Amino acid sequence: MSTNTSQTPAERLRDAGLYAPGDAVLSVRDLNVRFNSENGVVHAVRGVDFDLMPGKTLGIVGESGSGKSVTSMAVMGLLPETADITGSVRFKGKELLGLSDKAMCKHRGSDIAMVFQDPLSSLTPVYTVGHQIIEALTVHNPTMSKQAKEARAVDLLRMVGIPSPKDRLKAFPHEFSGGMRQRVMIAIAIANDPRVLIADEPTTALDVTIQAQVLEVLHTAQEETGAAVVMITHDLGVVAGMADDIMVMYAGKPVETGTVEDIYYNPRMPYTLGLLGAVPRVDTSGKQSLVPIEGTPPNLALPVTGCSFAARCPMVSDACLHGEPELFPVPGVEGQTLGHKAACIKADQLSGDADAHKIFQAPPKPVSKFDGVARAERAKVLELKDVKKHFPLLKGALIKRRIGTVKAVDGLSFDIREGECVSIVGESGCGKTTTLLEIMEFHPDQVGEVVIGGVSNKVATDHKTKMAMRKEMQMVFQDPTGALDPRFTVYEVLAEPLENLGMPKAAIKKRIMELMKLVGLQPDHVNRFPNQFSGGQRQRIGIARALAVNPKLVVLDEPVSALDVSVQAGVINLLDKLRAELGLSYLMVAHDLSVVRHISDRVAVMYLGKIVETGDVDDVFDHPRHPYTRALLSAIPVPDPALERTRERIILQGDLPSPLDAPKGCNFATRCPVFAALPAAKQEKCLTLEPPLASEKEGTQDFACFFPDGEIDSDMLVVHA
Amino acid sequence: MTNIIDPIAEIDEARVGDQDVVIGKSRIIFRRFMRNRTAVAGLFIFLALFLFSIFGGFLTSWDKDTLDPLNIGMPPSPDHLLGTTQAGIDLMALIVDGTRTSILIGLIVGGVSVLISAVYGCTMAFFGGKVDATMLFILEALIMMPAILVVAVATSGSGGLKDLPSWLLLVVVLLFFSWMGTARLVRSLSMSLMQRDYVKAAKYMGVPSRRIVWRHLVPNIGSLLVLDFTRGITGAILAEVAFSFIGIGIKLPDVSLGVLIGQATGQVSSFPWMFWVPLTVMFLLTGSLAMMNDGLRDAFDPSSSSIGRAKTKTAKAAK
Repeated sequence: MSTNTSQTPAERLRDAGLYAPGDAVLSVRDLNVRFNSENGVVHAVRGVDFDLMPGKTLGIVGESGSGKSVTSMAVMGLLPETADITGSVRFKGKELLGLSDKAMCKHRGSDIAMVFQDPLSSLTPVYTVGHQIIEALTVHNPTMSKQAKEARAVDLLRMVGIPSPKDRLKAFPHEFSGGMRQRVMIAIAIANDPRVLIADEPTTALDVTIQAQVLEVLHTAQEETGAAVVMITHDLGVVAGMADDIMVMYAGKPVETGTVEDIYYNPRMPYTLGLLGAVPRVDTSGKQSLVPIEGTPPNLALPVTGCSFAARCPMVSDACLHGEPELFPVPGVEGQTLGHKAACIKADQLSGDADAHKIFQAPPKPVSKFDGVARAERAKVLELKDVKKHFPLLKGALIKRRIGTVKAVDGLSFDIREGECVSIVGESGCGKTTTLLEIMEFHPDQVGEVVIGGVSNKVATDHKTKMAMRKEMQMVFQDPTGALDPRFTVYEVLAEPLENLGMPKAAIKKRIMELMKLVGLQPDHVNRFPNQFSGGQRQRIGIARALAVNPKLVVLDEPVSALDVSVQAGVINLLDKLRAELGLSYLMVAHDLSVVRHISDRVAVMYLGKIVETGDVDDVFDHPRHPYTRALLSAIPVPDPALERTRERIILQGDLPSPLDAPKGCNFATRCPVFAALPAAKQEKCLTLEPPLASEKEGTQDFACFFPDGEIDSDMLVVHA
Repeated sequence: MTNIIDPIAEIDEARVGDQDVVIGKSRIIFRRFMRNRTAVAGLFIFLALFLFSIFGGFLTSWDKDTLDPLNIGMPPSPDHLLGTTQAGIDLMALIVDGTRTSILIGLIVGGVSVLISAVYGCTMAFFGGKVDATMLFILEALIMMPAILVVAVATSGSGGLKDLPSWLLLVVVLLFFSWMGTARLVRSLSMSLMQRDYVKAAKYMGVPSRRIVWRHLVPNIGSLLVLDFTRGITGAILAEVAFSFIGIGIKLPDVSLGVLIGQATGQVSSFPWMFWVPLTVMFLLTGSLAMMNDGLRDAFDPSSSSIGRAKTKTAKAAK
């Protein structure tokens, strides 16, 4: 980033060739991308500059719509024909923009390779993975012999950590789990020793433990090939440990660039500051509200006149509205590198000790009326007693025979008291969603007992009892877009549960106005359709609908996982506030442990349909006893580069075992890092007996392990020094 | 490789917050449709034919029942704009009448079959289980029934159906055979809609199932029904032409395009106008509907590229 940003674009383009650092593998100058849309031309990327040095990692961080993916697509030449791309993208000094698709193919996959977000759809299902790796090799090395290609493919699979690579070469993508497929994608990407590897949200679709594995593989891949990596992500934690430099993008423009330390410890742009404050952290307990960034990004179909962040910035002044600030070097602080630049005219005011909570006026942590009452004295809102859900596994086309049982939920018992939030965490496939569905179904034929507000499912045979229970418990869904009927106005959405209770029209109207205010939406927006709201607002509507009938318990199914970081903070704060003000109880399912830590009072860790550890959230998170909890917690990246680089991580081997060959003794033994380190005599116990869920001391968490706090096998421990 | 279209969708998403840029869905669909020139042309041709079939009678002073003994089998002339048949009937009058019959059959069959399939499909998806299995069996059985035989038997006048005009008889028979495909489509679409979170939400709120179907399912398959309506019209017109051509559809004295084409095939060389004129009208009719359908599909499809390139517009803006 050596060009002077006050030049005209033309000058910068001319200079790009002259002054770009000679050794940069990839230099992008003044990249602009425009799309046509129903609302006119959208200027999606507005002047991106960066230089990528060999072997370095650049993290591009931004929310959806910030233009980070479009930038990478433009570099790869993968944007649709209809897009208008200007500027310059040079690979080792050679201009890539304007190359024909055919010419670009020479570079794609050999010089520049890409890892896509969704491993499930990035591999062709009808070819074996070996075929697909060899295909990548064949395209760029037509002279390579068949044996050499196969040997290379085996090498690659071994490099990305796929066990018995030779046999797996003949496997089809559907025989691999998501994490394994992403490994194969990485293998294909590095097949031709690319100089630049672009990873577009490579772990977003994966579980935390798998995410840790895949990040590890990316790390190895980079070490092996010496490639420069562009890592695109919305998760500030993921890049903290990996990247050397960070570029924060907002509304299609980089707003702050610098080394990781610059960005994380000394942010000079309010947006960066807000983003860092908006992320809950797994390593600190949630006694403070998160930093909400109000509002939405600007409409890029309209020309940007002032600072693009001005509308959401708490420090905004008149000067911000006149002319968009360029990226200026941040005035020197001692020990600062020169590369730190921020696009903010007030960058000086944000010195190292700026407090995001103060600047963004984060609300105080709300206190519920139940907080002072001891847990044992509060009434039970929900109680599960030995709930089981087994699915038969059938085989055969005409005559089905049972070949096994999937124990999705296997004997779950827990309770929720008034005013508390209980979270269920675990990898996908552990049965947490099935648990929620079992509770929501509320049917007398279920195995086990579900008691909601004193009503048991065993007696809920008539419509009236069921309706009474439905009034006690409501649900908020994961995807706010899918949970609202696109053809209903907000009024109709909110009126539905009330009409169902037979409320008179006037009362419904009044209640809806109350609800809109309660969740922080403007009451006069009730006549709009859901697609006229942003994701965060839609989730607020979903919450309002759940609260309409005044339930005691709200079931939250991944309530914020579909939202952007800055919006997520606002919704979490809202949930916190509602719990305190209305005395609600929550049952939440989430895979993001940082969110869980922030919002819940109690947590239950599930593995293969069973709770392996449960207790107060601070107990479990600060002193995890079960090896699975320990691995799960250590897999979460923390948005703190120094910590991230030095901390020990437990990388679990493999994926969830298939429910068909579920282990006989402890479920977790097959992947357990403690088990692996045990002497054979003690291993016997894990393999034959099932550890009961019990606490060691009164008043601490329950866990199901014979060897809590055991020593971790050194093969599964990773430290990046 | 869904990633490739993603960036645009992503921007669409981000931009939604600003109220002034939100455009109603119906307006977007209308705009997209209007942007497709072929589709608009199709719409105009269809409307023109429709008006022609109603008011075309005023273009000629003859009607289809009057013989002109002075002009038997004459090529187009000022007296008879499209010529006459070998019986001396004005071809223009016949065409007007035939087009009207064909369009009428198309509209009725297209519209009613869409209604039947929507109700049938939604019922199957909603009740599920045994009801679904039984209704699906009936549907499959109907698909396997040879339509041509039934048409032949029904229109030959057996079974006390003589009193009905032959075009109405054909409408009934065509209706009987036209709704199964769409019903199956509606069934699977509603089944996937039943899995949507908003349907689940309504269920968990305790909303009665019947109301869920009516309020959440039916409106959300609307775009499919509109598309199927235009496709159904084309299908019905083609079926009518085909049946009448082989002589089992519309019977004289009713005329349709199929009847006219069928009658003229034997004498293409001696009376070419009698063959080519109705054929052209039929092509215009089905062609215009196909063009419209193409545009409608583009308009309803969120991932269509009907929006065009960014390049041309920005180039203009730069000047």
